[in-house]
Amino acid sequence: MTENLNDEELLALYKDPATKEQGFTGIIKKYQEKLYWHIRRMVITHEDADDVLQNMFIKVWKALENFREESQLYTWLYRIATNESLTFLSQQKKRNSISLSDDENGLSNKLRSDTNFDANKLEWKLQLAIQSLPEKQRLVFNLRYYDEMPYEEMSHVLETSEGALKASYHHAAKKIENFILNN
Amino acid sequence: MEKRIEITEELKNISPTLASMEKVNVFQIPEDYFSDFDIKILTTIFLQDKKNNFQKVPEGYFNSLSDKIISKIKAENNETALEEIKALSPVLHYLKEEKVFDVPENYFENLSNEIVEKIKPSKSKVVAISSVKKWWKYAAAAVVAGVVAISSLQIFNHNSNPSAVANNEVMQLASQYKTPEQVDKGIASLSDDEIVKYLEKNGTILDEETISKNVDTTELPSADDYLINENALNNYLNEINVSNKNTQ
Repeated sequence: MTENLNDEELLALYKDPATKEQGFTGIIKKYQEKLYWHIRRMVITHEDADDVLQNMFIKVWKALENFREESQLYTWLYRIATNESLTFLSQQKKRNSISLSDDENGLSNKLRSDTNFDANKLEWKLQLAIQSLPEKQRLVFNLRYYDEMPYEEMSHVLETSEGALKASYHHAAKKIENFILNN
Repeated sequence: MEKRIEITEELKNISPTLASMEKVNVFQIPEDYFSDFDIKILTTIFLQDKKNNFQKVPEGYFNSLSDKIISKIKAENNETALEEIKALSPVLHYLKEEKVFDVPENYFENLSNEIVEKIKPSKSKVVAISSVKKWWKYAAAAVVAGVVAISSLQIFNHNSNPSAVANNEVMQLASQYKTPEQVDKGIASLSDDEIVKYLEKNGTILDEETISKNVDTTELPSADDYLINENALNNYLNEINVSNKNTQ
């Protein structure tokens, strides 16, 4: 029913108390897959991605009341998903007493634990390469490579200049290519 | 020639001194000044002509120049992500559509319902913490009533009991608790500790139906509160500890 509504229409449904839940469900259905994959690429396992995604939407339920529509809904949701993922990873590090330098190993281990993992396959080498990047650079790479997000939008999500994002992405792509070709 | 003679004669008449002086050019010019003079003139004319043409820049040209340059830069930036990665790395371009992660079946179909359920406060699932006192008291009432009844039967069935004296005392005690009001009053006079000790000894005779009917969930924080604010539940627990201390 809400499948073909644009963001403005979904927000209008949410703001009306009679259709608040309908509007909220519409927003979930419209953005769930994009946001799920964005989170999953950061936290790796389905269980963790599910936790972060659900917590994120529970916060969105209340926070939408104050959403000022100065930015795009899509950009706003991505920003929350990014922050929730980073918070989750930070909490995991503390819980597991993993030092910052071991962070890549922690996520790489999760990759290697995936039932489909095959170190000889290029697509898995790509994942290992992505996890070896620093957190922020990993985000930039994922948003541009997988989500094909324009740099202008990305600058609102990550609050970084377009030029810096472009440089970071180009650098990341080269690093990853070298990793794949040399491993 | 005639003209020249005429001018000479004229000067002789005006000033014989001047007329007699040799005409000498005192001014100096650079060497070879006139040798390529014609080329110099032509070059000057050419450059002047070009300068005049150069000044004929379209009106508003410089006003719009910066906007044009920025538009050109933006056009380069609008290179799509796909074109960009193709240029950066053919390997990465090739791997873009390769999926590695699995998702449980029907995950996305059910997700919105799961989230909405968590947002709605759930009144049936949560047991009230503030009603612990009432819960124990009702359970105690059921147990005591049962035990008194059983004890009374035992006493009546054992006429020649060596501990008849003790039984008589129990009989006297039991006679005070014949009506529900008397039982209630008796239980109200018991302390929480006595009730807990008694139930620990005789916990199997609990009436679950009685207990569940008397659960009071109205005072708990809603699911909204403790999901959003981790301190909500802690604050609530602190509050009821304080109120319990005040009522004891």
